[in-house]
Amino acid sequence: MKSISERPDRPPPEAPLAAESPAAEQVLDFLLDALEQRRVARQDRERSVGEQWEEDLEPAEAISTGGPAREQEEPPAPSSLATTTSQEEDLDNGVREPPPQLINVNLTRMLGRLLLVVAALVVLVNIPINRHGTPLARIMPDSAALVIRDGLVLKAQGPEIYVLQDDKLRWISSLEAFEYFGYTWPQVRQVDEAFLDKFEIGRPIHVLLKCRGNPHIYALEDGRKRWIKDIATFETEGFVWEDVKTVDCLYLDGLPDGIPIPSDAGSPP
Amino acid sequence: MKDLAVIETILRNRYHFFGEIRDGIDLQNKMRAMLVSSIAFLALYGAVMGSTHSLWQALSSAVKLPILFLATLIVCSPTLYFFNVLFGSNQSLTQNVALILTAITVTAVLLLSFSPIVLFFLLTTSHYQFFKLLNVAVFAVAGSMGVVFLSQGMRMVSMAGGRDGHEGARARAWVLRLWVLIYGFVGSQVAWTLRPFIGAPSMKFELFRQLGGNFYANVLVSLAEILGFAVVK
Repeated sequence: MKSISERPDRPPPEAPLAAESPAAEQVLDFLLDALEQRRVARQDRERSVGEQWEEDLEPAEAISTGGPAREQEEPPAPSSLATTTSQEEDLDNGVREPPPQLINVNLTRMLGRLLLVVAALVVLVNIPINRHGTPLARIMPDSAALVIRDGLVLKAQGPEIYVLQDDKLRWISSLEAFEYFGYTWPQVRQVDEAFLDKFEIGRPIHVLLKCRGNPHIYALEDGRKRWIKDIATFETEGFVWEDVKTVDCLYLDGLPDGIPIPSDAGSPP
Repeated sequence: MKDLAVIETILRNRYHFFGEIRDGIDLQNKMRAMLVSSIAFLALYGAVMGSTHSLWQALSSAVKLPILFLATLIVCSPTLYFFNVLFGSNQSLTQNVALILTAITVTAVLLLSFSPIVLFFLLTTSHYQFFKLLNVAVFAVAGSMGVVFLSQGMRMVSMAGGRDGHEGARARAWVLRLWVLIYGFVGSQVAWTLRPFIGAPSMKFELFRQLGGNFYANVLVSLAEILGFAVVK
C-alpha cells in the first residue's frame, strides 16, 4: 500500500503548501477523502462488531491509512500492517458494542437469601453456648495469636518477661540476662495472664557473673548477685559454664548481695 | 432488596450497565444502590472476620470494613478523575465514582460469596495466622475481580464522545493501571490504620491498634510463621 508520502505528485517536504497551489489542493482533497472514508469505515465497523462480541476482531482494513478501494486490491505492507494493528488496538475499546442483554436468573433473590443466611450464621456463631459463655466461633481451643514454639518471649501485665522453652515458661531474671541472651524488646509479645497460666513454670534464666582472680560465681537476679555455693550446686541448678560472664571486679563488688543458692548456703564470701 | 437488583445487572449485563454509566443514565440511583449493597455485604463479611475474636470485634469490623473501602474510594477518586481528564477523558467525576463503586460492589459481593468458606474455616480451625492469610487471599481474589470490572468499565465509558473519547486512550489505560496500584497501596495502608479486623485471640479487644509496621511486612511474617521460619513479633 502506498502512503501519501510516496505519491509522485507530492511536493518536496521543505516547500510550503500554498493554499492556491493545485498540488496542495489535491493533497488536501485526498486527505479529506481519506478521513471521510475512515469515518464511514469506522461507523460500519461499529455496527458490525456488536454481533460478534467476545470474538477476535477481523483485521481492520478499513481503518488503515489508505483508501478502502486501493486496500482491497493490494495487501498491506508489513509496516502498515503493524500500524493497522496498533490502530485497531486503539479503537478496540471504542468499537465494541454490548452483547445482547441476558435474561433474569433471580440472582437478586438468591443474593438476598445468601445475605440473610450469612447474617443468621454470624449471629448464631456469636451466641454463647456453654456455661463459660463461649460462643461457637471461639470454642476451638488454643486459638492463640502465637505459634507456640521455643524462644517465644512473652509478657503479661506485670514486669516479668518469660521465654518459652520446652513448653515451660522461664522467667528472665534481670535486664542483664535479657540483653545477655540477645533478646530484644520488639520480640516481647504482650499476652493475657490467662495465656501464661496455660504453661508450666520452668527454671529462671540468670546471667552468671564472675570476675578475674575471684573463683566465686554469682547469679544476677533483680539487680542483686546471688552467690552459688559450689560446683555441685551450680550443676544441680542446671547452670552451664557458657553462660558465665566475666565482668569487672569493681562492678561485681558494687552489686548488692541477694539470697545465696541454695538459700541455706550461709553468708556469701 | 430493590437495591440488590443492581448486582444482577452488574454481574450479568455489565456492558449495558457500563453503557448506562457512560450515557449518564440514572447515575444517582445506581450509586445509591451500589453503596447500600456494598455496605451491607462488607459489613457482613467484616462481622464474619471479627467473630474469631469477640462480639465486639465482630461489630467493630462490621463497621470498619465498609469504612475501609469508602475511605479508599474518597482518597483515590480525585486522582483517577483528574489524570483521566488530563489525558482527554470526557468522563465526569460522578461517572468515575460510579465506576469505582461498581468495582467495590463486585468486590463486596464476591467477599459475601466467600463468607461461608471463611465461616467454615472459622469454625474448624484455630490458627490465627492461617485465618489472617486466608482473608488476605480472599480479599486479593475479590479485589482483583473488582479491578477487572473497573478496567472494563473504564474502557466502555471512555467510548463516550466518539473519536474524542479515543484520544489518549492508551495513556488513560496506563493511568488506570498505575491508579490500581496506588489504590491497592492506599487500601492496604487504610486497612493497616483501621486494624484489627480479626483480632489476635490472645489480646483484648481494641478498636484500633497502635501504629507501627506495615501491611506487607505483616503478611510476609505471618507467612513465614506458618511455614515455620519465624515468630510473629
